[in-house]
Amino acid sequence: MLEIKNLNKVYPNGYHALKDISFSVPKGEFLVVIGLSGSGKSTMLRTFNRLHDVTSGEIIFNGVDTTKLKGSALRKMRSEIGMIFQHFNLIPRKTVLENVLTGNLSRTGILKSILGLYTKEEKERAMKYIDIVGLKGKERNRADNLSGGQQQRVAIARALMQNPKILLADEPVASLDPATSHSVMQYLKKVNEELGVTVICNLHFLSLVRQYAHRVVALKAGKLIYEGKPSEINEDWFKTIYGEEAVEVTIN
Amino acid sequence: MAQIIKKKKNKNVQMVKAIIFDIFAWSYVALVSYKVIYDKIYLDNRYPEFTWNQPLYSLYFGLALALVLFFTPLSLGRGMMGLIEVKEDETATSKPFAFIGYFVIFLTFLTGYFASQISMKEFMSEQGLEGAKRIFKALFNPNFQIFEQGLFAAIETIYMAFIATAVAIPIAFLLGFFAARNLMNQSKITFFIYNALRAVLNISRSIEPLVWAIVFSVWVGIGPFSGMLALCIHSIASLTKQYSEQIESIDDGPIEAITATGAHPIQVVWFGVVPQIVLPYLSYTIYRWDINVRMATVIGLVGGGGIGNLLMQYQGQARWNEVGMLVILIATIVWFMDWASSKLREALK
Repeated sequence: MLEIKNLNKVYPNGYHALKDISFSVPKGEFLVVIGLSGSGKSTMLRTFNRLHDVTSGEIIFNGVDTTKLKGSALRKMRSEIGMIFQHFNLIPRKTVLENVLTGNLSRTGILKSILGLYTKEEKERAMKYIDIVGLKGKERNRADNLSGGQQQRVAIARALMQNPKILLADEPVASLDPATSHSVMQYLKKVNEELGVTVICNLHFLSLVRQYAHRVVALKAGKLIYEGKPSEINEDWFKTIYGEEAVEVTIN
Repeated sequence: MAQIIKKKKNKNVQMVKAIIFDIFAWSYVALVSYKVIYDKIYLDNRYPEFTWNQPLYSLYFGLALALVLFFTPLSLGRGMMGLIEVKEDETATSKPFAFIGYFVIFLTFLTGYFASQISMKEFMSEQGLEGAKRIFKALFNPNFQIFEQGLFAAIETIYMAFIATAVAIPIAFLLGFFAARNLMNQSKITFFIYNALRAVLNISRSIEPLVWAIVFSVWVGIGPFSGMLALCIHSIASLTKQYSEQIESIDDGPIEAITATGAHPIQVVWFGVVPQIVLPYLSYTIYRWDINVRMATVIGLVGGGGIGNLLMQYQGQARWNEVGMLVILIATIVWFMDWASSKLREALK
């Protein structure tokens, strides 16, 4: 589904964020990326939908190298990859329904979307995804009045509206409390298993990783240092990834 | 390694800035000391002689002093650039260089005192107090016969300010996007447009509406239209600046999220940027109207029409009772606009 070859990213200020990363993600997988803050997880995720450009290397998606795409081809590629964020990034002062509908912008004409002329079919699809993330009845609520967990679910519905092949999740539960974290992870699992969407997710908590990940890759200082099953991360690997001083914190 | 070199280079730049700062600070001290302390206070000259040699010699003197004192704790420039180490149990305000700073401020205060020709003698002179009494008496005795005339002029002023604001809004709205750094620094061409636009806006903003009004009163003739044009130009420049600063301070999150859906750049702006700026924009715009009403009265003084024009006419004829009436009207309008706009802006939060 996604093949990453020798990916390098150097920021304009000279910071080498990603160093020669290669791995591939098969269709339908729930892949989790772990590593310390600043290890390059977020940067890497953002290169997959070209929110960040890469310096060198290839990202093969749908058989095409996406690192060179421009204009409408780039937008088409982005529309097939959904993304959710740590801070949800919903549009303030808009309703849940309006937020979810923005997931379809790449297929709505510019003028139509600005005038808010969505078709009945689009609205029905939006309602369906709002239902899937368990927010039925909240369509007309302002999104920024919902709780954190609910906002993240709106963001998932917005991503689903794109009909994505891949869902990128950048620290989706880092600003949520433990109980809500599990609820959001459950919805990601549901999206992965029932809708068959490939999920690539950055996470901090190893307990969540063990529970939800099919496979794990770990980054350290921009290098890929581990690739394998979550159950295989033992004490030694943990110390390698997070440093000698680290102590594992669990969330239940 | 690259970072260390960069840091070193950065430090050198700071040093250069510091020494330039020192030279100018000492030259300023030298010039002001000579002109004020020696000429004004010591010699008590009413009209001290000025030659261009004075600033020139001051510059030489400042240069010499700066070079001598640069590496001592008395270097103000090094202190300001943070190149003098301040230990944890000290504050920067108690370091020697700070006292140089206090001295510069004291000198500036002294100069200001003499430049403003502050004179208690004239403020309290019998003749002057008599004149003030006469004017105040008239002002507190307004002539209500011109109430109607004044009211119509005031209404003219308010509508003039409103139209000036209304015309400025769409133009400033569009320009605001082009004057926002975070939207325009993506490519060299757009960044050039950004810089050019910023320059034009800064220039037009630094020309007072009063000056614009004079220009337009020659161009389109004396009257409310020239005042409206003057206010409009100033409003466009000010609103564009405020709008663009609002755009610069928005949360990048929604922009990132909308971009990630594969939306067109226009859609990204409409859905990611616009919802975040609508309310602050409204707030700025109402405040601008409020300011424009106040400015419109002043602009009237130079032929911009409205109540200011009327005020000018009566003032020229020394008809203080009529002026008193107009002052009451203006004060009422300004107070009302101030109150209404703050209420409106509060409701928008």
